[in-house]
Amino acid sequence: MVGRKTVALGAGRYLTLFPILLVMVFPLLWMFRVAFLETGAGIDWQAIVSSSWTLNNFRDLFANANIGRALFNSVLVGGMVTVGNILFCFMVAYALARYRSLANRLMFMSVVLVLMIPVHIVIIPLYLICLKAGIYDSYWALILPWLVNPIGIFLVKQYIESIPPSMEEAARMDGAGEFRILFRIVMPLCKPALAVLAIQVFFTNWNSFLFPYILTSSDSLRTLPVALALYQGHQAIDWQHLMAGSAVAVLPVLVIFLFMQRQIVSGITAGAMKQ
Amino acid sequence: MSQPRSTGFLLTSPWILTFLLFWAFPVVYSLYMGFTDYRLLVEGYRWVGWENYRQLLSDPDFISSLKNTFIFVLGTIPVTTVIALALALLVNRQFKGRSLFRSAFFLPSITSMVVIALIFTSLYQRGGYVALLAEMVGQDPPVHGFLYDSGTALYSIMAMDVWMAVGYYMLIFLAGLKAIPDELYEAAEISGASSTRQFFSITLPLLRPVALFILVINCIKSFQVFVEVFVMTGGTFDTSTAVFFIFQEGLTGAFQIGYASAAAYVLFVLIAAFSALQFVLMRRRTGAW
Repeated sequence: MVGRKTVALGAGRYLTLFPILLVMVFPLLWMFRVAFLETGAGIDWQAIVSSSWTLNNFRDLFANANIGRALFNSVLVGGMVTVGNILFCFMVAYALARYRSLANRLMFMSVVLVLMIPVHIVIIPLYLICLKAGIYDSYWALILPWLVNPIGIFLVKQYIESIPPSMEEAARMDGAGEFRILFRIVMPLCKPALAVLAIQVFFTNWNSFLFPYILTSSDSLRTLPVALALYQGHQAIDWQHLMAGSAVAVLPVLVIFLFMQRQIVSGITAGAMKQ
Repeated sequence: MSQPRSTGFLLTSPWILTFLLFWAFPVVYSLYMGFTDYRLLVEGYRWVGWENYRQLLSDPDFISSLKNTFIFVLGTIPVTTVIALALALLVNRQFKGRSLFRSAFFLPSITSMVVIALIFTSLYQRGGYVALLAEMVGQDPPVHGFLYDSGTALYSIMAMDVWMAVGYYMLIFLAGLKAIPDELYEAAEISGASSTRQFFSITLPLLRPVALFILVINCIKSFQVFVEVFVMTGGTFDTSTAVFFIFQEGLTGAFQIGYASAAAYVLFVLIAAFSALQFVLMRRRTGAW
């Protein structure tokens, strides 16, 4: 009896889940298929099924549309911002977790405050600041404002507070300097939290459109999402190349996702559970 | 512990600089700008008091962008939350292929919004897959495609956003479900409570903090919808939203910095009020459940 009920329940579960799965994966699968379609083959059902596979779209993109430059920019900016966040969020979080002072308590309040500020409020002032500081339309505008973020500080601070300070105290007794303790003892212990932080920061930066778009104007400074969004604008819609470019933008995220799924998931749920 | 004050200062200096230069100053600066008639391309500006705010309230473009933003927020958030919870319940217990389903549901939410918007632009076009689907169930799709029709464009973007976000919130619900102690269900089982009863008496009440978190962050995010509108319709066909309006007024055309800053503050106040409202409503319901 029980067995039969469980089997029926299991079948019901899969019957519910498979249509949902189809809806959830179809758009991305479709993107990859169109990326490998012959140009001019159309993108209707017949072309999808019967047309041959080709790498020409990717070749064209790198040769003519300068997607290589956009890819380089995305990697460079994403890399710099990620490294910056690992270093700076860690430094700030360590000070906030271990040095108890009024100034630090105020500083922590500023972190929480920024967490609550909707980002749209800084679109226009940030544009003006970059313009007046002379960093508009340069890599600095894409990197400088994002080198440390409140969620990252919050995440790493929580992690450091869960580590007993005994090791640091022992090292201090032995006469180790603060920076030695910080980078040689505490930082290696924080690796799990810093990995979560790195992935979150990299993904956010890699996918970001609004700020890279408004803070640059030269073609040579476009990141991948910006280049893709604008590619559509000045070409009659050319889905094969557009989807090939999209595939280039999705692939790194997909690969990281496959290998580091656990860290990604724990990064998302950590924030929620701390509330 | 006795660390020299200078070490603490040095360690926190990246945040102090970022906070002052890129957060505190901009927030104050744009509040100030909202009371001026500053335009980027015009030399000098003057204080105009509440003039920008008065003008906004009678600007049909601003009003319709606010209307669209509210449709977006009120239309997507309940749907996204309910579907996310349903998905979480479906993939909560252990079964074969569970992690595959979880990953597939979650994948869209870590993909670039620009890429998703491009994909759906093609799916929504005339003769595209969504049109085929509509014909299959006997509906006439819009003649020029879903994004080229004022009656469907905004709702098409909303549907895409729900599709994209459900996996993300599913993960947060899953974490919430995991935090509910098994003993509660065991005790309920022993006292003969049905699974429906267990869901309404244990699962739902204990998920309330998680649900509140989801509502608040989704609300803040949805009030600021911009990228998908920019990519898919460029604000045409009655899809302009508040942030799109701010962008259009402040950073294109006449670069009306003052006017756009005032609009940004109106949105800021709306978001704050909405978040506060959700907190109050969720708190009050605590007694009822």
